[in-house]
Amino acid sequence: MIDFSRVQKELQECSRDMEASGIKVTPVSDNLVNLSGTIPGPIGTPYEGGIFKIDITLPDGYPFEPPKMHFVTKVWHPNVSSQSGAICLDILKDQWSPALTLKTALLSVQALLSAPEPDDPQDAVVAQQYLRDYQTFLGTARYWTETFAKTSSLGVEEKVQKLVEMGFPEALVRSSLEAVGGDENLALEKLCSG
Amino acid sequence: MAKRVLCKFFAHGACLKGEHCEFSHDWKDPPNNICTYYQKGVCSYGSRCRYEHVKPSRPESSASSSSMVSLPPTAESSVGVTTVPGVLPELSALSRPYLPPNNPAWNLESGDSGHDDSLEDSDFGELRDLKPADRPICSFAAAGAGNCPRGGKCPHVHGELCPTCGKHCLHPFRPEEREEHIKTCEKKQKHLESLRRSQEIECSVCLDRVLSKPTAAERKFGLLSECDHPFCISCIRNWRNSSATSGVDVNTALRTCPICRKLSYFVIPSVIWYYTPEEKMEIVDSYKGKLRSIDCKHFNFGNGNCPFGTSCFYKHMVKPGSYMWKYHRPPPRRPTARRSNFVDMDSFLDAFEHLIRDDEPDMFDVDFDTDNDHAYRDGRLEEVVLRHLGAEDGDTVIAKDIRLSDFLSNMNIR
Repeated sequence: MIDFSRVQKELQECSRDMEASGIKVTPVSDNLVNLSGTIPGPIGTPYEGGIFKIDITLPDGYPFEPPKMHFVTKVWHPNVSSQSGAICLDILKDQWSPALTLKTALLSVQALLSAPEPDDPQDAVVAQQYLRDYQTFLGTARYWTETFAKTSSLGVEEKVQKLVEMGFPEALVRSSLEAVGGDENLALEKLCSG
Repeated sequence: MAKRVLCKFFAHGACLKGEHCEFSHDWKDPPNNICTYYQKGVCSYGSRCRYEHVKPSRPESSASSSSMVSLPPTAESSVGVTTVPGVLPELSALSRPYLPPNNPAWNLESGDSGHDDSLEDSDFGELRDLKPADRPICSFAAAGAGNCPRGGKCPHVHGELCPTCGKHCLHPFRPEEREEHIKTCEKKQKHLESLRRSQEIECSVCLDRVLSKPTAAERKFGLLSECDHPFCISCIRNWRNSSATSGVDVNTALRTCPICRKLSYFVIPSVIWYYTPEEKMEIVDSYKGKLRSIDCKHFNFGNGNCPFGTSCFYKHMVKPGSYMWKYHRPPPRRPTARRSNFVDMDSFLDAFEHLIRDDEPDMFDVDFDTDNDHAYRDGRLEEVVLRHLGAEDGDTVIAKDIRLSDFLSNMNIR
């Protein structure tokens, strides 16, 4: 049985120091079993500036069993599956402790972003790239952050508005934005070149 | 004659005065069951009063045995209420005028008539003749801040101030009693103090204050032997007992402190939290001491093989005629029925024996890490928790099914 009073307390605690940690946990449904967390990409890493969304499901035995977490936002990282978002982190598996909370677990995930463990990979392709061609890895990771972790900063209509104001026809703006996956900078590049 | 009325504290099994008690500790003596409030005017309990409502029969009484009241026939001959030393005059002043019912008894001033004073003098004259050490202590002076309404006329000894509890309850002429009181008083005070300090402490797992949990069984700390992080007993036991299905590693996570991950071999239940290593040691030692008095069910008086061997916390008593007694070694360890892949007759029987053994009260509740499935084979966690009963003073009493009389005589509740 999930200790809901503890979950409630954790949520309160989390919203109290959201400013300081940047970590946010919000319930998805009313039952407090499915939650959604967001972590900012650590500064000084290719994930800087991105906001990463993590889906959290609490097992029946929580807090005596670890919460199930996976990235909803696509991440290019040796310990995160680029396909499913599954996270390879010991504290979410055999090293879980009931003294950990959702916030501290998310902090650990954030720390994992800044300190990858390529020797214990979740995504072999990423890990190989990390070990063999670090520069390419950095580029890809940065690109994925730009593409997937930053789109939510502005609404689609606002982007369209912005680009239309620059003097591009609205229909073209919309098709370009769609083609680049919603990134206004990439869309601008495409519009200028094309 | 001083011991004719049954001591009501003794009747409830809680007279602290023991041999010094001025009331009878003999069950054959009748109790004083007369409601004094009713006799003096008004009893606010009315018909619900558990004492007998008997009207005083004043005019018939003589001066010396002033107030023989109409007691039930059995008690009549033996109970002379006012002649019993130790009964407070305020409560036994049956000779007082019968007051109208609108004046409650507790509003009465003491010593409000000369008649009363002369009576008290004659009643307690014999008390004054006693040696000071034999005179009982005045409970008015003890309860209040030393002000007895009778002042200097009081036939009882006025106690000296106990610095710990602030009551005038130290008998000036009974050194043993004084010492005893000071000792228990200090102990009580210390316990209260640590209980007060323990109120604020939160369990790091449920994030609740441990001593504010809803049920008494939960309001207990689970101390880890190797570190000083606070948890409530149910949380830490739950964690250490949680099954391997969750994928948590037993030796590097489950048996370690959830906060510092230091490996601890056992959990000690305690009602109070500690602040010094000495206090912790005291708690651990008293817990181990209690377990040592209980026979180990695995050892089974020398007929079983205890997986914890000599480091077991429970008593290993070898009974004459047992396997251990005959061969000076424990019987061979049986394979547990669950682990074996084949069934032979021996393990078949063993499995049954195990079932039978488990019907006995399961006393095993120390979480050793060496043999997880042995201690928790049947997963009866609730039972384990229930067997830690809290004594009134906050001590943990480990219940055992023995006869009530043995239980009372052996129990060592301070």
